[in-house]
Amino acid sequence: MRKYRAAIVGAIVGVLALGVTACGSSSSSSSTSKSGGGSTSTPSAQSVPLKSGENPVGQSLYGNKKGGTLTVYSSEDFEHLDPGESYFELDYAVDYATQRPLFSYPPNSASQLLPDLATALPTTANGGITNGGKTITVHIQPNVKFSPPVSRVVTSKDVAFALERGDNPNVANPYMTYFASVIGAATGKGGPWAGISTPNNTTIVFHLNKPQAQVVIGALSLPITSPVPKEFAAPMDKHAPTTYGSTAIVATGPYMLESNPKTGVFAGLGYQTGKSATLVRNPNWDASTYTSAYKPPAYLDRINVEIGGDASVIGPQVLKGSDSVQLDTPANSVVKLAYEKYPSQITFTPGSGDHYIALDNQHGPFANVNVRRAAWAAEDRAAIIKERGGSLTAAPATHFIYPGNDGYAQSGGAAGPQVPWNTDVNGNLAVAEKYMKAAGYPSGKYTGNAVIQIVGANNGNSPAIVQIFNSALTSLGFKTHVSLVDQSVMYSKYCGVPKQEIDACPTVGWIRDFANPLTTLYVTFYGPAIVPTNNSNWGQVNNPQINAAMVAAENTVDQTAATQAWANVDKMLVNQAVAIPEDFDNQANIESGNVDGINDLWDTGSWDFMFTSLK
Amino acid sequence: MARYIIRRILWGIVLLILVSALTFVIFVVFPTANPAQLRAGRNASPAIIRHITVELGLNHSIFVQFWDYMKGIFFHFNFGYSYYSQQPVLTLIADRLPATLSLTIGAVILWVVAGIPIGIISAIKRGTFLDRTAMGVALTFVSMPVFWLALLLLYFFASDIGKFPLLPGANSYVGLTADPGKWFTSLILPWLVLAATQAAIYSRLLRGNLLEVMGEDYIRTARAKGLSERRVIWHHGVRSAITPVVTVLGLDIGGLLGGAVLTETVFEIHGIGLLNFNAINESDFPIVQGTVLLAAMFIIVMNIVVDVGYAYLDPRVKYS
Repeated sequence: MRKYRAAIVGAIVGVLALGVTACGSSSSSSSTSKSGGGSTSTPSAQSVPLKSGENPVGQSLYGNKKGGTLTVYSSEDFEHLDPGESYFELDYAVDYATQRPLFSYPPNSASQLLPDLATALPTTANGGITNGGKTITVHIQPNVKFSPPVSRVVTSKDVAFALERGDNPNVANPYMTYFASVIGAATGKGGPWAGISTPNNTTIVFHLNKPQAQVVIGALSLPITSPVPKEFAAPMDKHAPTTYGSTAIVATGPYMLESNPKTGVFAGLGYQTGKSATLVRNPNWDASTYTSAYKPPAYLDRINVEIGGDASVIGPQVLKGSDSVQLDTPANSVVKLAYEKYPSQITFTPGSGDHYIALDNQHGPFANVNVRRAAWAAEDRAAIIKERGGSLTAAPATHFIYPGNDGYAQSGGAAGPQVPWNTDVNGNLAVAEKYMKAAGYPSGKYTGNAVIQIVGANNGNSPAIVQIFNSALTSLGFKTHVSLVDQSVMYSKYCGVPKQEIDACPTVGWIRDFANPLTTLYVTFYGPAIVPTNNSNWGQVNNPQINAAMVAAENTVDQTAATQAWANVDKMLVNQAVAIPEDFDNQANIESGNVDGINDLWDTGSWDFMFTSLK
Repeated sequence: MARYIIRRILWGIVLLILVSALTFVIFVVFPTANPAQLRAGRNASPAIIRHITVELGLNHSIFVQFWDYMKGIFFHFNFGYSYYSQQPVLTLIADRLPATLSLTIGAVILWVVAGIPIGIISAIKRGTFLDRTAMGVALTFVSMPVFWLALLLLYFFASDIGKFPLLPGANSYVGLTADPGKWFTSLILPWLVLAATQAAIYSRLLRGNLLEVMGEDYIRTARAKGLSERRVIWHHGVRSAITPVVTVLGLDIGGLLGGAVLTETVFEIHGIGLLNFNAINESDFPIVQGTVLLAAMFIIVMNIVVDVGYAYLDPRVKYS
C-alpha cells in the first residue's frame, strides 16, 4: 500500500479536493495502479463515458517535441526522495524519473511489466524462473552509469545493496514484506542477504524459501530496486535516519536532482524542503541502455517543481497558464472548471485505488456474517459516488480487486460477484432485512444492546460518507456512536489498532503497490498479517479458508493461475462480506494547454516526467 | 523603567515556558497521529516503527521528552529536527522568516497609513457622507475572510489567472536581496489583502476612541484656551485615542510575525505561516512547537515594546 496524494490545502479555502491515502490506505479519491505482469484487465473498461482526451489509455508516447522546462505545481511536499525509503505517490514521480528499477511499467499500461535496468523479464520459459519458482535470475544492462559524482558503471552488487539497505533500520523501507521469501531478507538488518548472489557484474540471483517468484518479480518494480552505490550511500546510512536522499543522492534515470557535481549534495539546490525541487538531465544517462519496449524518451530539459500553495489557486494557474501541470490532486472546483471549460486539459485515470467500509469481523454485531451482508445490502453506494465527486472521479465498487489490477475481470469486473447483497448499488433495505433475519433478528431489525462504534476521517467528503453509512445502519435498527477525527489519527489511533475494537471504519481505502492482487488483498484481509499497531487489516479479517486460499495464491508460480487464484480469493471476501466496498477511484489530473502530459496508469495517473513533453 | 522592562522580560520567559508546555500537552493529550508511524509508512513492520520511535526519542516518558525539549530550547537554542525532512527547525524558521517579515512590515505600513487617517477623518466628519462611506467600506472589509479576499484579488488582478492581469499573483514571491523590484511587486497583492481587513478594523477602532476622547473635558478646556482645532485634534485627541490602537497594533504585528497562515498559503509565500500549516498537516510536532514559540515570543516582545511606548505616547503613564 502506498500513500495517496491528499488534498489538504484545498480545505483551507473550504474547497474539497479528491484524494485517497497511501500505501494501502486511502481516504479521499485519487488513483493509482501498478501492476506486475500479464494482466487481462484493463483500466479503460470502466462505465464512465470520457470525452476525447480524457482517458489516458490511448496516449501517444513517442515522436513529441524535445526540450523545454516544465513547471510542476504541488501543494504537497515530497516525503522521501531516497528510493529505499519512498512509498508516497508524489515521491514516485521523482523516483522513477531519476532512478532505474529492475522493471517498470510503461505509462499507458497498468499491468504490463517491462525490463528497465534489467535486460529481460524472468519467466520459466526463458530460464529466469527456476527451481519451481524459488529461484529468480535477473540480468542487468551492462553500461548504465550513476550520475556524478559517482559516475561509474552500475553493477548487480549495487542492486543487491539497494535491496539489503532496505532492512537497515535507518532506511526502513516499508515494502520489505514483499521480499520476505528471499532467504535472509526477513531477518536482515542492512547487511547482505543469504538469498542474493551476484555471480558477475550483470547478474543477480534471488533464492527464495517459497515458490513466490511472481510476487518478488512484481516487487522488483518498486523504487527500492534502483541501484545504489555502496561507497557513496553506506556512510550516509549510518545516520539515523539516513541522509541519502535528504542531503545527497545519485541517479541512474534520465533526470537527476540538481546537485553539486563534486559531492552529489542536492539539499538547498535541487530540493528545498517545502519549497521546490529541480530536476535536470543526468549527463551520464544513455538512451541506448534500454533494450526492451520500455524506452523513456526524456523530452524535457528541466522540471521545476513548485511546492506549496492552495489547490484552488494552483488549478487555474495550470489551466490558464502554459508549460505546467499539477502533481497533486486538483480541488473539486478546479476539476469542475477544467471539465467544463478546458476539457482537453484534464484526464481521469481509472484504477486509482478504492475505498471501503472496514467492519470488525472479530467482535460485536459484525462478527456475524449475515449482519455484515445486511449492512452491505443497505449501503447506498450510489450516494457515496456523488459525495466522491460523481461518476467522473469514482465508480461503485462491487468487490476488492479494483480496475487495472490483475484479477479484476476474473472476479466479476464492474458488476462484481453476483450475490444478493451486492447487486443494488443504491442500497436495498428488503435484502438487508432478509439477512438480518438470517442473522437471528426476526423483525429484520437489530434488537441487541450493542452500540456500533464508527470512526471516520473528518476531512473532505469523509463526514458525508460516514453519514451515509450511519443512515444505513440506523435504518436496520442499530444504535451508533460516530467519531470523526483527523485521517492520520483515524488510522494510527483507532482503525489501525485492533485492541480498540472499532466496529466500523467507513473512510478507509487502498492503493496497490504493484499489479499483483496480493498487494491489494494480502495486508488488508490476511489474518496472520494482523499486527497490534499500524495494522492495515482494519476489519481484523481472519478467516481460515480465506487465509489458506491466499497462501495458495501467493505460492502459485504460473501467472495466469495465480491471477485466477487471487480472483477466487476476492470472491470469497465478497461472499463473507468482510468489508463493504464503496467506490473504485479515478484520479483527475490537469495540465496547461501546451503540455502533452503523459499519465502513469500504473501510478494513479501521476504525471510521468520521462514521457511528458511541451507542444 | 529599566526594572520594569527587566521584569517584563523575565515574565515573558516564564510565559514562553508555559506556552511550550501547553503546546506539548496539546500534542500529547489530544489524539494525534504517531509520528513514527507516519514516517514509517503504512506497510512498515512493528520493528521498524519501534526503531523510528527510538530514533525520534518517542520511547521516553512524556516528562523526559518534555525536559529534553525544553533543555534543548532554553540551554542550547535547539528547537529540534523535523520528523520528515530531518532539517533543524531553527534552520527552517530562519529560512522562512524573511518572507514573513517582508509580508508583515509592508502590510503594517499599509494598514497604518490607510486606517489611521480614515479613522481620524471619520471621527472629525462624524455623520457625514464621507464618514458613512468610509465606515461602510471598512465594515465590508472587516466582514471579508482573508482567504476569500485573497482569492478574489488573485482572480481579478493576478498576472497569470486574473481577469485584469496587473500584478504578480501566487507563487511569485522572490527575496528582497534576489530582486528588489520583483520582491516589491510580488508582495503588493498580499499586502493589500492583509492591510484591507486590518485598516478597516483600525479605522473603526480609532474613530470610536477619538469620538469618545473628543467629548472629554480636557478637550473642551483646550479649545477654550484658544488652541487651534488641528492642535486640539492631533496633540490632545489623537494622542490619547491612539493608545488602545497601539496596543492592538503590537499584538497584530507579533501575531503576523508568527505567520500569516492563510495569506501565505493562498499566495504561496514560503513564510512561517505556510511552514506551520504544512507541519500541522503532517503532525510534524517540532516545527509546530518551534513556530508557536516564535509567535509567542514575537507577541511578548511586541507587548513589551507597546507598554514601553505608552510612556512616550501618554504622559500620564509612568512605570516604576
